Amino acid sequence: MSATTDSSLLIQQDTAIRTQRRRTSVVLVILFIALSFVFVLPLYWMVISSFRPQGMIFAEALNLVPSYVTLDSYHKLFNDQPYGRWFLNSILQTGGFATVALVICTMGGFALAKYQFPFRNALFVLILVSQMLPFHLLIVSLFLMIIRLGLVETYLGAIIPLAASPIGIFFIRQYMLSIDDEMLNAARVDGANEYQLFLRVVIPNSRPALATLFILFSLEYWNNLLWPLIVFREAENMPLAVGITRLVNQYQTSYDLVMAGSTLATLPIIILFIFLRRQVLEGIASTGTGMK
Amino acid sequence: MNQLSALLYNRKIAPLVFLTPFMIIFLVFKVWPVILAITMSFQKFQGVQNQAFVGLQNYNSVFSLARFSQAFTNTTVYTIGTLLILIPVPLVLAVLLDSGRVAKSTLFRILIFLPALSSLVVAGVVFRLILAKEGFLNSFLSTTLGLPPARWLETAELALPSLIIVATWRWTGINMLYFNAGLVNIPRELYEAAAIDGATPLQMFWRITLPLLKPTTFFVLVLSIIGGYQVFVEPFIIFSGGGGPGDGALSLALLIYRTAFTSFEFGTAAAMGVILALIIFTLSVIQFRFFGVLQKET
Repeated sequence: MSATTDSSLLIQQDTAIRTQRRRTSVVLVILFIALSFVFVLPLYWMVISSFRPQGMIFAEALNLVPSYVTLDSYHKLFNDQPYGRWFLNSILQTGGFATVALVICTMGGFALAKYQFPFRNALFVLILVSQMLPFHLLIVSLFLMIIRLGLVETYLGAIIPLAASPIGIFFIRQYMLSIDDEMLNAARVDGANEYQLFLRVVIPNSRPALATLFILFSLEYWNNLLWPLIVFREAENMPLAVGITRLVNQYQTSYDLVMAGSTLATLPIIILFIFLRRQVLEGIASTGTGMK
Repeated sequence: MNQLSALLYNRKIAPLVFLTPFMIIFLVFKVWPVILAITMSFQKFQGVQNQAFVGLQNYNSVFSLARFSQAFTNTTVYTIGTLLILIPVPLVLAVLLDSGRVAKSTLFRILIFLPALSSLVVAGVVFRLILAKEGFLNSFLSTTLGLPPARWLETAELALPSLIIVATWRWTGINMLYFNAGLVNIPRELYEAAAIDGATPLQMFWRITLPLLKPTTFFVLVLSIIGGYQVFVEPFIIFSGGGGPGDGALSLALLIYRTAFTSFEFGTAAAMGVILALIIFTLSVIQFRFFGVLQKET
C-alpha cells in the first residue's frame, strides 16, 4: 500500500519537474526568437530600404513590408556611380590578397611546424607578438613607404603590406603540426626532395585548412576599410568598402543608394556563408579573427 | 649552378626557402614600418619629406592636447562598456543554447551570428540610419512606448552609447561562437556527476561552467580589449569621418587617422600610434599576468 503511494508521489513529482522543464524551454525559445528578430532586423531593414525611394526610407521606417518597391537605387548605383567598378576591384583585390597571403603563410607555416632551425621559436614568438600591434601604429610609416615605392593607387600597394598575416601563419603551423612525420619520411625515402614533399604530400593533406584560411582571408579583405582607404583616393581603383564610405560622405547622402550598395556588398558573404558555413564558423572560432 | 641547386635541395636550407617570402614581406611591411613609426614619432614633418629630429616635442604636444585626453577617455569608456555587455551576455546565451533546453539552437546561433558577416562599414551605415533622428529606433520607441525622439547621433552623451549598441549587434554572435567552442570542451560527465549529487543548474553554472570557461573568457577578454582600443570604422562611418557631436565619439584610432590624413601632422600621428601600441601592450601584459598565463610558461 505505502509502496504504491510512494511511487505515485514520485511520478507526480516527476511530471511536475517535467512540466516545469517544458515551461522553461518554451520561455527560452520565445526569448531566442525575440533576440534573433532583433539581430536580423537591421540587415532585413537594410534590404527593404534599398528597394524604397529615398523619401520613404524614414517615412516608412516601421513598415517592415514595403508598400512600394523600386529598383531605382540599383539603377542609379550602376549608372551614376562606379559601383560595378568597385565590385570588380573588390573581387580582384580580395582574390589577389587571399591567394598571396595563403601561399606565403602556407610555406612559412610548414617551415615553422616541420623543421628545426636556429631561432625558430624566437621567430615564431616575434610573429605572434606582432599580432598585438595596432594597425594605426603603422598607417603613417606604411603610407610614406608606399608613396616612395610608387604603390599608391595600385592593387599591389593595397595587398602586399597586409599579406604577411601572423594569424594565418599561426593557423597553418598549428594544423601542420599534426601531419604525420612518418608520412613525410616515407616520401623522402622514395626520393622526393623537400619541395616535392611540400607540393605532393603536405598540400594535398592540408586541403581543409587551406580552404578555411582562404575563406577567412577573403572575408578579411572584403570587409577591410582602413588600409584601402589610405591607398586609394581615385574612385576607379577603390574596393566596395571605400566606395560605400565615399557614397556616405557625399554632400547630400542618397541613403537609398547607400542601402543598395551595402546590400549588394553583403550578398556575396551571405552566399559564401550559406555554402561554407562550417568552414567560416570553425575558422573564426579557431583563430579569433572575428574581432577585427 | 649544381652547387646552388644542391644547396637549395638541402634539408637544412629548405625551411629557410619556405620562410623567405613570408619573412621578406613581414620584415619590410611590418617590422620596418614599426621602427620607422617610432623614429617618426621623434621627428617633425613638412609635407611628406624634410623631417628633422625634435626630441620629445611630439609626445609633449600629444599629452597637452585636450582632444587626445578626450579620445583616450572615450576609447576607454567604449571598451569598458563593450566588455560589460559583450562578455556576460554572449556567455549566458551560449550556455542557454548549449543546455539542450532550447529547440532549434543551431538556427538561433546562426541568426544571432549573421551581423558578424556584414562589414563594419555596412554595420556603420545601417545604424547611421537606424539611429537617425527619424530613424527606425526612434520611430519604434515613440510608437510603442510614446517616448520623445532621442538625438542619438547628435548628442555628445549619446555618441558612445550609440557605438556600444552597434558593437553589441555586431559582436554578440561571434563571442557566442567562442564561448560555444569552449563549452564543447567541458566533459559532460562533470554535469552528470553533479546532477547525481543534487546540484541545481545554477550551481552547475557557477561551479563547473564558469571555472572551466576561464581560458575562453580570457581569450575573449583579450580580443575585446585589443579590438575596443582600436575602434575606428564604426565612428568613422557613423559620424562622417569626424569625432561626432562635441567629439563624443572621437576614438584614439580616429584621432590618429585624422591627425595623419586631415591635418597631415605625421610626426604627431606617429607619436599617438606609439602611445596606442603601448596602451594595448600594457593591458595585454596585465591580463596575461592576471590570468597566470605567463607564470605557467616561465
